[in-house]
Amino acid sequence: MRPSSIVFWALFTLAGGWMQSVIPGVDFLAPGFILAMQEEKWTVPVWLGIIWLFIQEGTGSLAFGTGLLWYGMLAGLYFFGHWLFEARNFLFMFILGLCLGTMHFLLINVMAVLQDWSIPLQRLLLESILQILIFPVEWGLIYLIHQHLPANNHAA
Amino acid sequence: MPQRIAIGLLIGLFLYLGLFTWNIRTGYVDTLASHTGLEFARWILAPGKWVHAQTTSFLNRYLYFVGIRQENDQLRQQLDAAKLELVNLREDATEVQRLRRLLAITPPGEWTRQGARVLSQRLGPNAALETLLIDKGSASAVVVNTPVVVPEGVVGRVLRLAPDAATVLLITDPNSHIPVVSQTNRIQGILKGQGPNHDLLMEYVPQGVSVEAGEILVTSGLADIFPKGLPVARVTAVGRSGSSLFQVIQAVPLFEPRQLEEVALLFRSPDGARAAASEAAPPPAAALPQSLPAPTAAKAAVTPSRPVAVQPSVAPAAPAPTPAPTVASPAPASDGATAPPALEKRHRKSKTIRIMPQ
Repeated sequence: MRPSSIVFWALFTLAGGWMQSVIPGVDFLAPGFILAMQEEKWTVPVWLGIIWLFIQEGTGSLAFGTGLLWYGMLAGLYFFGHWLFEARNFLFMFILGLCLGTMHFLLINVMAVLQDWSIPLQRLLLESILQILIFPVEWGLIYLIHQHLPANNHAA
Repeated sequence: MPQRIAIGLLIGLFLYLGLFTWNIRTGYVDTLASHTGLEFARWILAPGKWVHAQTTSFLNRYLYFVGIRQENDQLRQQLDAAKLELVNLREDATEVQRLRRLLAITPPGEWTRQGARVLSQRLGPNAALETLLIDKGSASAVVVNTPVVVPEGVVGRVLRLAPDAATVLLITDPNSHIPVVSQTNRIQGILKGQGPNHDLLMEYVPQGVSVEAGEILVTSGLADIFPKGLPVARVTAVGRSGSSLFQVIQAVPLFEPRQLEEVALLFRSPDGARAAASEAAPPPAAALPQSLPAPTAAKAAVTPSRPVAVQPSVAPAAPAPTPAPTVASPAPASDGATAPPALEKRHRKSKTIRIMPQ
């Protein structure tokens, strides 16, 4: 892994963590996971996914497993989707965001019910909508930045 | 030839002296000279003087402005530094006030207090509950269910732990159930959160008992999580709904969740822990609060175990350890069986813990 990539992913993780404290309930690291699967060796998304999984699980208030399902389903959606769509297409990212938003609503709801928690559905719905809107925009932004990293073969 | 020269000199001298004396007498030549030469010189010299003056002035102003600019820059830097210092000092001053108020919390005798900073509100996509992140964790002896308070009242309790951080479940979360008692009328109930921006709900208060709007609800100590007598919420509305056996009592928390910066954690001191352990024996059936219907009392006792279903190793899973006799109301408990109600009420009021500095 190139030093510039290491710096990029480290800064991305920091920024994502900060953004998650600003807008709770939205996963700002998920677009990075998709980008890592698109642009890096397969080991990179695996390691990043593990690190981010523990971040999300540790900061969350649900029992461990929600994040595993979250990133697992995200990876599954990506692999399934990139057979049908161009992987770097904004439309594909929007569809992924739509799936993520729906998944956030269903997954958190199901996990909360399983743990006998009750959660305000209105807030969960708002978070899901934010996830749908933020995911493709953030992916586009970090995709552009990643393309212009020093020593990046894809640099224009 | 020399004769001619001499004659010429004499003539010249004669003309000069004649002109000189005529000018002295009349002043015509002086006037002519001043009206021509002087005027000419003035018109020649004036622009030069103006150019010189302007050049000098420009140079002076330039040099002056350079100095002023430098001085201005220095003053601006000093002003910025002073502003920054002022902001920092104001922040420090408000922080000192907050910390003083935090230190003014006087926990009950068997409890100790420790401050913590709020790092964040809900964080991440899995933060489904209303929580806070604080900077104290298991390394600071924090355990699950450690009470978290501010000078105004109870904030919540610790839900999850890391070595140097902890997640606090706020009382506004729908999964928070706290056994409370109204401060004036000593009516027991379970205070339940209803989510952000919603009032709290005091449940299982039977019809016919009096709870007044504006009354402060304090912890009853039944759950063995919070010390008895901590202010939790203020009653805002009392009503009834249809055929329900219970009143609908709404309350607001005494703190503003979005404005929390520091909180205090309450720890049971070793003596208090030993005392609590010795009191953990199952209470006699007669000591259960008789003012509440049976399901209510059971709910009150079971409540603390509910959130901890995720972490069963830490939480009490059964209602047995609940020290019910200490707060049974209004029916007499084990120690208050014969006491007059008024005396009993006064006695209980005196046990209320003061959190808000007077």
